[in-house]
Amino acid sequence: MRDLLNRLFNYRLLALVRKEFNQIRRDRRLQLSLILPPVLQLTLFGFALSANVSDVRLAVVDDSRTPESRELVSTLTESKSFRLAGYYPSVDRLGDAVSRGDADAGVVVPYDYARDLARQRPTTVQFLLNATNANTATIARAYAEGVLQSYNNGLRQQGIRLQVQPAAADSLARRGQVSLQPAFLFNPGLVDSWFIVTGVLGLLLILNSTIVASAAMVREREAGTIEQLLMSPASTTEIIVAKIAPLFLLLTLMMFAALGVVRLVFGVPFRGNLLLLLGAGCLCILSGISIGTVIATFSKSAQQAQLTCFFINPPLASLSGALNPVEAMPKWLQPLTVLNPVHHFATIVRGSTLKGSGFMDLWPNFLGLLLFTVVLVSISITRFRKQLS
Amino acid sequence: MRRIVAQVRKELTQIVRDWRTLALALVLPVVMLLLMSAALSLTVSNLPIVVQDFDGSSASNNFIDAFRASISVHVVAWPIDKSAEEALASNAARAVLIIPPHFGRDLARGIQTPVQFMVDASDANTAKLVSGDASLITAAYNRQLAGGSAAAPVQAAIRLWFNPGLSSKKFYGPGVFVLAISMFPPLLAALAMAKETEQKTILQVYVSSISAHEFLLGKILAFMAVALGEALVMSSLLFTYFGLSFAGDPTPVILATILYTFCVASFGTMVGAIIPSQTAALQTVALGGFLLVFLLSGLMFPIQNIPIGLRWISNFVWGRYYIEIVRDALLQGGGWPAVWYKVLFIAIIGSIFYSLAWRGMRRMQVKA
Repeated sequence: MRDLLNRLFNYRLLALVRKEFNQIRRDRRLQLSLILPPVLQLTLFGFALSANVSDVRLAVVDDSRTPESRELVSTLTESKSFRLAGYYPSVDRLGDAVSRGDADAGVVVPYDYARDLARQRPTTVQFLLNATNANTATIARAYAEGVLQSYNNGLRQQGIRLQVQPAAADSLARRGQVSLQPAFLFNPGLVDSWFIVTGVLGLLLILNSTIVASAAMVREREAGTIEQLLMSPASTTEIIVAKIAPLFLLLTLMMFAALGVVRLVFGVPFRGNLLLLLGAGCLCILSGISIGTVIATFSKSAQQAQLTCFFINPPLASLSGALNPVEAMPKWLQPLTVLNPVHHFATIVRGSTLKGSGFMDLWPNFLGLLLFTVVLVSISITRFRKQLS
Repeated sequence: MRRIVAQVRKELTQIVRDWRTLALALVLPVVMLLLMSAALSLTVSNLPIVVQDFDGSSASNNFIDAFRASISVHVVAWPIDKSAEEALASNAARAVLIIPPHFGRDLARGIQTPVQFMVDASDANTAKLVSGDASLITAAYNRQLAGGSAAAPVQAAIRLWFNPGLSSKKFYGPGVFVLAISMFPPLLAALAMAKETEQKTILQVYVSSISAHEFLLGKILAFMAVALGEALVMSSLLFTYFGLSFAGDPTPVILATILYTFCVASFGTMVGAIIPSQTAALQTVALGGFLLVFLLSGLMFPIQNIPIGLRWISNFVWGRYYIEIVRDALLQGGGWPAVWYKVLFIAIIGSIFYSLAWRGMRRMQVKA
């Protein structure tokens, strides 16, 4: 048995693997697509995609023109959330500015603002938000409420100190208030890129494995050398293993390069089980190679294979939760993410880097990924065998 | 003129004969529009949270009820003897509300009662959304506690313009519409152009009486027709399924659509003329059409957030201007005063692509 294995590995398989390596070495474009994507795409995605909301341009209509109203405006604009875009004489002009895109938000201070404040009557300030982008609008709304809340607290304290309205202050104190203390775990600095790069990593592994594998697999067919391979004494298993092994090795190196970018460029902490992460990454690469192989068996030329990749990539990417949380998708789409290896991998990466989760927390996703890989690899091998025979 | 029309007819026949390209031209954009506009949303609702109530008084139950009533979160069960961090690490919940043992007593005595809200911030944006929601809920609860007597002196009346339902579909729909038009027509154009060189049929073009401009215009017009067809199919979806309509003057967006289809068709033809290999041309268009328009045009995330070192590139991304025009026409309704220069930029970028394609043609001729 051992002798048999030795012979198998010594001669044919090794020779075939060497042939594949040589082929990859001579294909400049394939090499480029192995090195460039992890560095370029990861960096670009990580830097360019950020949902952060700051410096919302605030247009102001101040009908009150009093020290009080100006103080409100300066309280709003001195935070990092809002930036003054300009004063407008009327609400109509402000509306024009918002719809032209000169401002993202507007605030209208009523003419009786200072008088109402002095009389201890509640007064209302109108906020207009450009809600085209629902996410930005939701966050900007919370900012506005937050700034006003702290402004109100300041007013109340002033009131207590100056004894303007001791009765109200007293009753307020007797009631007691709940103060919510938010604590941001795992990413206290709220760095946007950590979420994106940990998601894009899986996307990158699967999509690039698919493209590289389909290109490598279809090449033999395109050039018509597949007959020569069949004529050789090598068995189909040997041919398949020899095809997959070098790709797998190179893509694993790509994964290390990508992890290096994630760690060094973006400073993502690796808090959990690195072994689990690497294991999941290997499974991810294998399922990517399998998808590529299946595509290659359905195509006659490299260009056809590439076009077919276009049909597979958008659903894989958009249903993965790599760029946005799965909970934000509509209810009917959410179950579909379970069928996506990128989704499982993204959960594992985020768990084992940011959250420090171990195998006990992540085993369902690991199992899902494993199942996928097994199913995809067996499909691709049967397809490839069929093609060979 | 007759020669241009003949060229257009030849291109369209070629497209119709290959099922893969035809599907790429007509089916994939629609699938992408439906799928991506739904799947790309960032605004979460109904996030699972865990409540650890160490008080168990009626006051704490009241407070938890305020969270139960909210549509932005839902409370899931979690054993009280397990630590809160575990709920976050195992993805059982995205946030934990911890009520201290003396909550009810403190409230009754009139002391400020701290309540901890631990948020899983591995996704910073969702963390901000959920902590914003929680503080709104708490503020409303405090108002209710205080009764009418101590209402806040300054209140905010917040009006949401252009998209009052905060539907992210209406924001991403137009974006994905532009992405699809920026991707598929130039892809087909680049393939068709590179194929002429690869299969040497370009030599037949050289010996015929057709001029370079006529040849290019014929190709570009054919792929403009494809792009306009795509735009028509997808905009009918935008107007029905997405519930969008023209918010103002529709003339800028109509003119911009025609110019933009010219721009993307010229882009594809240019790539095909400069790069004579189909596979390489395909990759280049995918990079230009998809990566640039997806990442640097403000489709998903605001352009202001891109670091300055990269942001200047977005000034040259043709899709950026078209996305802004389409969003303006369908949501904001700013009309010509808001977008005239963007229409101009599209025309300029399109003519640059056209002249580069023409120069690429000439160089090819010299080589051949």
